[in-house]
Amino acid sequence: MENLLMEFISNTGFAMADYRHIIMITVGIIFIYLGIAKHYEPLLLVPIGFGILIGNIPVFKGLGLSLYESNSVLHYLYFGVTSGTYPCLIFLGIGAHTDFSTLLARPVLMLLGAAAQMGIFLTFLGALALGFAPKEAASIGIIGGADGPTAIFLSAKLAPHLIGPIAVAAYSYMALVPVIQPPIMRLLTTRKERLVRMEEPRVVSKREKIIFPVIGFLLCCFIAPAALPLLGMLFFGNLLRECMVAERLAHAARTSIIDTVTILLGITVGASTQADVFLTPQSVGIFALGAASFAVATASGLLFAKFMNLFLRKKINPLLGAAGVSAVPDSARVVQMVGQAEDPTNFLLMHAMAPNISGVIGSAIGAGILWSFLGG
Amino acid sequence: MYGLDAISAHNGWHMAALGISIVFTGLILLSFTVAQLHNILRLFDNRDAYYKRIRGLFKKNNNKQEVSDSDLSLSNNVKEAAGQCKLLIERIGEPFPLPRLIELSEKCGMSHPYSTINDLILAGFIVPDGKGYYVWNQDEQN
Repeated sequence: MENLLMEFISNTGFAMADYRHIIMITVGIIFIYLGIAKHYEPLLLVPIGFGILIGNIPVFKGLGLSLYESNSVLHYLYFGVTSGTYPCLIFLGIGAHTDFSTLLARPVLMLLGAAAQMGIFLTFLGALALGFAPKEAASIGIIGGADGPTAIFLSAKLAPHLIGPIAVAAYSYMALVPVIQPPIMRLLTTRKERLVRMEEPRVVSKREKIIFPVIGFLLCCFIAPAALPLLGMLFFGNLLRECMVAERLAHAARTSIIDTVTILLGITVGASTQADVFLTPQSVGIFALGAASFAVATASGLLFAKFMNLFLRKKINPLLGAAGVSAVPDSARVVQMVGQAEDPTNFLLMHAMAPNISGVIGSAIGAGILWSFLGG
Repeated sequence: MYGLDAISAHNGWHMAALGISIVFTGLILLSFTVAQLHNILRLFDNRDAYYKRIRGLFKKNNNKQEVSDSDLSLSNNVKEAAGQCKLLIERIGEPFPLPRLIELSEKCGMSHPYSTINDLILAGFIVPDGKGYYVWNQDEQN
């Protein structure tokens, strides 16, 4: 009886926990707090935060409880992450959610989305310089795309052992867009530039909106075929939305499917951050490079907008460049916020959605390119 | 291996340069295509008029009468209606009030007189004289 009790006590979380579990549980609680109290990306931070709690309850091996045990329920759910299924389904939902009108009305703003992807490739170089293997460096670099599903997708393909830290870093920085971006935006633009007003976009016809996903898909995937899983779902979702004859499917994609997948993705990514695999010097490097990547991406977009203004007759507000990072729609909201801090009657949100959406396309192309370079 | 040596050893410079170039190329191509999309659709919508213009260019007989844009953009029905209206206007006399022309057109059994006369105004066959009346535009006819 006494032996049985002692054995039970030695198998409880209290007996098996060490300082690393406590650190990770604290991180999980902070995520939940930020999501609920501060409203920082609550749809992501709350599931990831709770997932971190799930993943860091100390359990003994062999019972099929841990996410990394092949017979556990969490392991089966995690398959959607490692196979790249969840990110693609999330892209389907994003496509079904997104109105491409602003992008179609002023296509030149797409270049800002391309410029912001410099963050991906500069961070890739930085990670290589810090001693990461090329596949790991590419997975870390993609954090600069500020696109959680893309970061998870590429990490799953190139460096599955880093999915946890990369996903947590990507989503943390996405949640912190309103904190990270404004100082960089103010530093790199003058007040006069921030006051620039954008001209009213032209009205886009329904036919253009229907044709765009087909043309966009064909063009992007012929250039970077490895981006097919992500861009295929993104443009398919958008076609469902715009074609008007598949409203039920579009509704399902932008509500029940994306919500279900977000829950599963958040919980399993959170649970993958088990203390013994997460708390490593590598993770610290990933977080540092992720922050740098985000800053570089924002700065690249801003500076490229200023460069474009050298050639454009009708100037664009350089703040729009910051929306080139693809954290949809948070970075566009930040552009609006910073623009309105200077002039409350200047509405930039609608215009910022164009580089924001092209940033999603650009980061998916970037991921496809890195996968095709290193996936062999 | 660390630093610039590591980047060079893993072919990092080339991958980064090529990667960003491909992203730019992709989005520039997409941007260019999208920018032309509404023009292509407009061309498609007016394809009959453009076919006519091209056929006109290749006509063998050197007919000195040039084909004007308004002729191309109007359908045969409207051109026929223009002929009818011209006769009616000659009957009413110029300048004429628009309701009178509509009334007469209805009496003469013209189909859809409101929209037909509207088409003729848009095409510049019937123009306001600036005093509340309308006149037949001889220049447009020629």
